[in-house]
Amino acid sequence: MKKYGSLLLAALLVVAFAATGWANTGGITIALGSEPTTLDPQIREDGGERAVNDNIYDTVLARTPEGDLMPSLAAQMPKLVDGDTWEVTLRSGITFHNGEPLNADAVVYSIKRVIDPEFNSEQISFFSTIKDARATGDLTLQVITDGPDPILPTRLYWLKVVPPKHSKDPKFAENPVGTGPYRFVSWQRGQHIDLVRNDDYWGPAPQIASVRYRFIEEPGTRLAGLMAGEFDLITNLLPEFTSHVPKSVNVLGLEHPIIILNADKGVTQDVRVRKALNYAVDKQALAQGLFEGFAQVAQGQLLSPSFFGYNDQVKAYPYDLDKAKKLIEEAGAAGQTIEIIGTSGRWLKDRDLVEAVADYWKKAGLDVKVRIFEFNEYLNRLFDRKTRADSIFVVSSNELLDADKSFSAYYKAGGVGSSNTDETLAGLIDAARSKTDAQKREGLYHQAVQLAYDQAYFVWLLNIEDIYGLSARLVWPGRVDARLLVREMQIQ
Amino acid sequence: MGRFIYRRLVHGLIVIFGVTIIVFVVTRMVGDPVQVMLPLESTLEQRAAFEKKLGLDRPIYIQFGEFLGNIARLDFGESLWQKRPAMDIVFEKLPMTMLLTAVGIGFACAAAIPLGIIAALRPGGMVDRVTVFGSLLGLSVPQFWLGLLFIVLFAVQFKILPTSGAATPAHIIMPALTMGLPTLARLVMLVRSSMIDELNQQYVKTSFAKGLPFVRVVGLHALRNAGLPIMTLVGWEVIRSLAGYSVVVETVFAWPGIGLTAIQAIERDDLILIQAIVFTAAVCVVVINIALDFIYKLIDPRLKLT
Repeated sequence: MKKYGSLLLAALLVVAFAATGWANTGGITIALGSEPTTLDPQIREDGGERAVNDNIYDTVLARTPEGDLMPSLAAQMPKLVDGDTWEVTLRSGITFHNGEPLNADAVVYSIKRVIDPEFNSEQISFFSTIKDARATGDLTLQVITDGPDPILPTRLYWLKVVPPKHSKDPKFAENPVGTGPYRFVSWQRGQHIDLVRNDDYWGPAPQIASVRYRFIEEPGTRLAGLMAGEFDLITNLLPEFTSHVPKSVNVLGLEHPIIILNADKGVTQDVRVRKALNYAVDKQALAQGLFEGFAQVAQGQLLSPSFFGYNDQVKAYPYDLDKAKKLIEEAGAAGQTIEIIGTSGRWLKDRDLVEAVADYWKKAGLDVKVRIFEFNEYLNRLFDRKTRADSIFVVSSNELLDADKSFSAYYKAGGVGSSNTDETLAGLIDAARSKTDAQKREGLYHQAVQLAYDQAYFVWLLNIEDIYGLSARLVWPGRVDARLLVREMQIQ
Repeated sequence: MGRFIYRRLVHGLIVIFGVTIIVFVVTRMVGDPVQVMLPLESTLEQRAAFEKKLGLDRPIYIQFGEFLGNIARLDFGESLWQKRPAMDIVFEKLPMTMLLTAVGIGFACAAAIPLGIIAALRPGGMVDRVTVFGSLLGLSVPQFWLGLLFIVLFAVQFKILPTSGAATPAHIIMPALTMGLPTLARLVMLVRSSMIDELNQQYVKTSFAKGLPFVRVVGLHALRNAGLPIMTLVGWEVIRSLAGYSVVVETVFAWPGIGLTAIQAIERDDLILIQAIVFTAAVCVVVINIALDFIYKLIDPRLKLT
């Protein structure tokens, strides 16, 4: 063992000290917060993996930078054949980086692979309604859902297509092969991943010739690397650092901090109190003070304007401390205790937000008990279905850009994080889930948004912007879905 | 001697076993990897399926039995987070931390011993005062702050060193300095005080009186006699670096070692990987302690190993 150990050490020394010689010719370096654990695009729900694989693989549908769905590997948008069958037609002439053809079989294979219970993908929640898929021609296939599923196109935006032959290779997770604009070159665990432009790409040719990913958890170190000129793009730049970097890009992101109010018990049972808790908080001041303006006031709903189901008739509760005080007096709740549960260090400024909100609530005349827990302990309370705390802070993230996921979890009675028993609201969400008529479905969500707003089941706080730091030479406008698509970037 | 080794090994095994069991119990008490690893909005059914897949739905005693069997084979199973054998990850990361520790502590020793001796030669003198002041400063500065200061100074301002990573030999300079500085500070103080004691001994005066060369008296006789406490501290610092400082230093410099991996495993509640790392750390501590006993014997053959 000793011998073996020293050999290993020696080998690693060589690896560690081997000069890497990444010639900076038309290539960029992107610093991510975490290293992928695998490069199999279908197993994990992992931001680091996604950031890399979004460039190696294509999805059946894609989104414009503004968030609208559009065909990608599909030649056109999927068509609904009957209630639960969708037909997808693929583009012709696309091949994987290893030469395997991209055809209906490959897509069917990818669908079956990710929904296989044995495969146990963490992404299963994105595909949970898909029952089966079958090829009907070389480039046409049908996707069958369990009951009508209006979000199927959105799900196909999530579906990365893998090559049927190569993906059976046990080393597939370390040697990804897709159809995307960049090919995989190498992965030095703990150090970097290198990709190079796929010159046979079926879409518009990317300008950037190669990309190296580095993994740096500490935000200060990422920032230093950008300032030292080692990186061209860093993710999750802290708002207070934006003035120090050569360039920064901010896009309205997918994260919404909200506070779930217990509508069934305690001081928050009274709708007047719940409304007062909304009026009492100066959301604009939070956006300015805590996020340096890199956040927008949430408009009384757990959705961004780019999400399906967003109701633009509903506006944020205005900041009105007098009204809040009055409502609390009317409800006879003045001086009563309200507990707010939060965590620290999980989300940007999580603790600061909870403490700031608690201060506002105190001013409105309540006795606020702030309880900050370690993340695991916090989750126990967030998911506790038996006793719901008066109020729980949470940051909801919605990668599908569709109301269903967040509403099922937080709005709907019985959802994993919901604190109400409103059957009407649950009915609207259930009905919307199976309506394939987009307009009717949107109408149902608009009603749900309005109902939850009138009942003030939450204190909607902000919609946080994603901030990226860029080197002076990199041009990239950002995307609402937070995907780091190198083909949309340019070097000046 | 054989008896000594036997006893030390038995003690070591008890320690390692105890630590591993505590970790098993604590990791299972405080967290639920399922709720940490799946997206917040996952449904209860999805959580239950995931828990089953990880085998965490089985009774705790069955998991414990399996765990004991695994330890015996040095196989902790697959990391929940990385989905590959936990020991593979440990063997991949540990050498990087050992390298960092070796360079950091090596630097500390190389600087601390001469500095401490020079300071001890004239206690209260200029060199002595500067050294003492410097060590107090070194002891008071938090490592993460020192690391960031180095980065801002040498990488961002002067652009002579890379900010982070481990790709070339130049990458190790800043993390190793950051790792070694607190050790340097403590070691200088110890070398200084031990040497002051030794230099006042009769045998030193006798040696000088006999006309032995200065370097021989101070560097060989006195330093050797001052060696025991110094070795104790060095051993202790190696342990602290491997199993403590590495967390901070590796996080700041994105150094792909065991400390950074440990913190990531804890954040993700990866029971399996946490167990493997703690087990390995316990083994390192025991091995270093046994090695220290042998080094004591080398320095001072009069010592009896019992």
